[in-house]
Parts: sequence; structure tokens; C-alpha cells
Amino acid sequence: MNQAACAAPLDERELSAYWLGELAEADEARVDEHILGCGHCSARLGELVALAGAIKEAFRRGDVHAFLSDAFVKRAAERGLRVREYRVPRNGSVNCTVAPEDELVVSHLEVPLEDVSRIDVVLHAPGLPADVRHDVPFDAEHGEVLFVPNLTQLRAAPSQRLRLELVAIDDKGRRVLGEYTFNHTAHEA
Amino acid sequence: MDTPPVERLEDDAALARRIARARPGRAPEAEAELCRRLAPRVRLYGLKHLRDEHAAADLMQQVMLMTIEKLRAGELRDTDRLASFVFGICRMSVLELRRGGLRRERLLEQYGEDLAPAAAPTEPLFDLERVAGCLEKLPQRERSVLLLTFYEDRPADEVGAELGLSAGNVRVIRHRGLARLRECVTGKAGA
Repeated sequence: MNQAACAAPLDERELSAYWLGELAEADEARVDEHILGCGHCSARLGELVALAGAIKEAFRRGDVHAFLSDAFVKRAAERGLRVREYRVPRNGSVNCTVAPEDELVVSHLEVPLEDVSRIDVVLHAPGLPADVRHDVPFDAEHGEVLFVPNLTQLRAAPSQRLRLELVAIDDKGRRVLGEYTFNHTAHEA
Repeated sequence: MDTPPVERLEDDAALARRIARARPGRAPEAEAELCRRLAPRVRLYGLKHLRDEHAAADLMQQVMLMTIEKLRAGELRDTDRLASFVFGICRMSVLELRRGGLRRERLLEQYGEDLAPAAAPTEPLFDLERVAGCLEKLPQRERSVLLLTFYEDRPADEVGAELGLSAGNVRVIRHRGLARLRECVTGKAGA
């Protein structure tokens, strides 16, 4: 096998599927052998693995916000991560904070989601223009949108009141599903 | 006849031939070059199948030592089948490691320090702050899929079940998200 080039490079999708254990046994063995014999494709796999590690580490450090799943939060807690959770009823409010030892802060935004196909989230912070997060994933079965804020930004935020709107978007236009108020208190050392 | 320097031998099999044809231990440059090429690949194989950095490092040591030893002993007749040969050693060694068999200390005791391949480079390829900034710029669904996928290395069907998406849809979003993230992080379109 040539060190620099590859006559039949593995497809990018196949590399991801291989790494994530999605291939059938025979295909996995074929990719195993190809990777061991090919400097070009093994370097590409190495880059994918490094990028995957960087994604994981960036989230672990709290530098990324996301809309995730309740199952993910439960697994994180089971693994021993310090998780601070808030359940906010539709059109309700919550007093909240973040402590230095928190590793994950989660807001469960309760909302009826029947017949909802797309949700935008509008974040209103004092003195800033409205910040729209388009087409967020949601958990229709549990009737909630699960928001994990950027922990680094949250730690740096002053005490303030934040308002968040969930807006359904469909062919009839937009309708507000619910409003949520966060009375955030900055942690005092 | 002049022999080219080992780093200019593009074919791994040519290195294996040079090791096999020399008297045992008399092709140190070819052995070192083969280890330099194969060790990172074996480490990736180990990470894929053992999901643990230390276990992958143990595997890398074990496989490289056994590969060089077997090449020296002339056990690989057809050097064009080197990848298949190494694959077989990898599979057997993973089974041994899973059974808690050979560890690095025992290997070194058995084969000696002189055969120990250099550790694979472990420097991070990506700047974490840049990756975080690029993740923050991704569309929400792409970010959610990438985090749920790579935080725990979960396949598409499991991620889809948690986000109300089909496995096929998750794979499409994952591929698009990875391409967009790579482009942002490296600053190269289609990188």
C-alpha cells in the first residue's frame, strides 16, 4: 500500500460510520484492514477522531450551548457529572444560578408540542437585540424543549432577568408557544 | 547497487521486504520507519475497538513488537499482504487485551526496549477555542447531532431516537455538520 496516496479512498460517510460502529461486521473488517494499510485514509480517520475529541472537550468545558435530550442529561448524571436542572412551566419563571462545581446546567422548558414541526427560540437579554435560534430540536414525546446554555458565558453573566420565547413555525405563520423567565443570580464567591 | 533511504520507500511492503531479507535486527532504519508509519494506524484501530487511550497504546506496542519480530523471523512470505498480516495480529491482540492478557511491561520484558516503537504523537490537532466558536456558529440541529454523536460516540439510530429523527436523517445532518465544522475550523472550503 502506498504511503502518500490512495487508489480507492474511503468515503467520508463510511469513515464516520466506521468510527461510530454503524457498519456491518464484514464492512467493518474491510475498513479495519484498509486503515491499517493506508497512510492516506488512516490520516483522515485520525483527523476525524481528533475533531470528535475536540467537540467532546469543547462541550465538556462548557463552551458550547445546545438543545439536547432528556436521555443525554440522565446519562450525564449517571456518569457522575454535576448537573443543575431547572424545570420551567409554560409561561412560568424560575430563580436560577450556576455554581463553580456545576458541570452541566439544563433548562427543561415545558410546552405542548402536538402538531408542532418546527420551533424557533427567541432569547431576550437586557440591553441586547433579540437573539433567534432557528429550528431547534425538541422532544415532542415528553412535551419539552431542553436547553443547555453555554456554561462559560453563564458563569460570566451578571444577575439579570432573561426571557425566552418558544415560537412554532409552520405554513400558517408563527405562533408563540410559551414564554419563560429566568431570574439569574450571579454566583458569589 | 544503491538502496534508497527508507523514508523514500513509498510502499510499506518494500520496508517489510527489507526487514525480512536482512539478518534479524540488522535493518533498524527500515524497522523504525515501518513503526513510524504503522503505529498511528494501529493506535486508531485500538481506539476504535477498545475505546481507551491507554489500552490503544498497549495494543500499539504489542502489535508493533510482534509485527517486527515476525518479519525478522520471515513469517510473512508475501509482503504485499502486510496490511492483512497486521490486521490478524491486531485482532488477536485485542482479544488478548480484553482478556487482560499481555501488558506493556510483560512485552518489554519479553522483547526488550530496543524493539519498542516510538509512541504515536498525541498533540491536539485542533484549537479548542476555535472549535467551540465554530460549533456555536453551526445551525442548531447540526450542533445537537454532533454533540449527541461525538460526546459519547453514539450511532445514528440512537441519536435519532432521542431527537425524533430517522437514522438516515441523522447521518445526513452529521455529514453536513462535520463538513461545515471542518471548513470553519481549518478555514478551508471542502477541507
